[in-house]
Amino acid sequence: MIGHGLIPIELQVVSVAVLALFLLWVLQLVRTQRLSLRDSLVWVVSTALAAVLALFPGLLVWLSRALGFQVPSNALFGAAVLYLAVNVLVNTVTGSQSAARLRRVTQECALLRAEMEALKAKRGDGPPP
Amino acid sequence: MACCNGNSVRILAIIPAFNEERSLPAVVAGLRRAAPALDLCVVDDGSTDRTAEVARGLGVTLLRNPVNLGIGGAVQAGYLWARDHGHDVAVQVDGDGQHDASFLPALVEPIAAGRAGLVVGSRFAGVPTAEGFRSTRLRRAGIRYLSWLLRLRCGARVTDPTSGFRAAGRAAILLFAGSYPPDYPEPESIAVAARGGVVVAEVPVMMTERLHGASSINAWRTFYYLVKVSLALLLLPTRRAARQAGGAASTAPAAGATARPGGGA
Repeated sequence: MIGHGLIPIELQVVSVAVLALFLLWVLQLVRTQRLSLRDSLVWVVSTALAAVLALFPGLLVWLSRALGFQVPSNALFGAAVLYLAVNVLVNTVTGSQSAARLRRVTQECALLRAEMEALKAKRGDGPPP
Repeated sequence: MACCNGNSVRILAIIPAFNEERSLPAVVAGLRRAAPALDLCVVDDGSTDRTAEVARGLGVTLLRNPVNLGIGGAVQAGYLWARDHGHDVAVQVDGDGQHDASFLPALVEPIAAGRAGLVVGSRFAGVPTAEGFRSTRLRRAGIRYLSWLLRLRCGARVTDPTSGFRAAGRAAILLFAGSYPPDYPEPESIAVAARGGVVVAEVPVMMTERLHGASSINAWRTFYYLVKVSLALLLLPTRRAARQAGGAASTAPAAGATARPGGGA
């Protein structure tokens, strides 16, 4: 690990350990098919990025200076908040799409049930219409 | 046009019903009195009471949503049925008895005559009278505002845009089958129709206070209603999205379409 004394080695170890556990959790969710591989990619990539920054904090310092942040951690918090906000918005969009699909499937189900009952009534083997 | 030969117009009444077991028989009887040749379609939107059994007993087409979709999703199920069964006109009538079925012929007439593609029953159109249920003063102010916004956004002149008592011609049926707002749909659906090139008209109707139960829109929600509908009208779908929705609708035969271009832009 190349900290150059920017952050204590203990903090670096804890950070990397937490990220590794998080990544294992995501992979476990994929293996047990509770999370699709496609949806897991964004988590795998973001965890990997965070791990890179934990291993090479000099990168974060350089980047935040280049962007004009006074304290590197502010750049980190800002990026994290933005990333989470984007994530939540994407989730909300997914929710809206799912609701629209569910609505259409429900309607289709009601239509099919009515068609089936009409057919049954015509054949005379169903309950009275 | 195939739909405009007077007697040959096939009309479907769409009756959205959520826990309306008590009002439904009177609503259906009223519609049968007003128009004996009418096809009737009750949409049971996941009721927890005996709405479905009551509807079966009345001998109407019953669309039963396995889960509650809300008024927009329920009404759209009815428009899908009208699309699939070739109805020329679909009339929306609330299952709670607020709408007087004797106005049904007046609602259908402009469509049968080819003068309009969507006709909204308005409590405020025509000669002002003290008769009928016209809502509270505050709500009337909201309605005037929505009416203004609707005219501004899509050129449709409707004095009672929140009215759920309306008739849709074939073109509007196809539009609504493809795209209908899920909640508080009344003003927004007028915009959907107008943007889709349907001519919107209105006729005066009278409404009564509901027979049983409470309105699904209490005073507390009126503000949310106004905000939601305002946003919807300001953010009307882009032409591309509207075309896609129209494309989905046009998979069904479009015979007897009453829409004409130039309804608004």
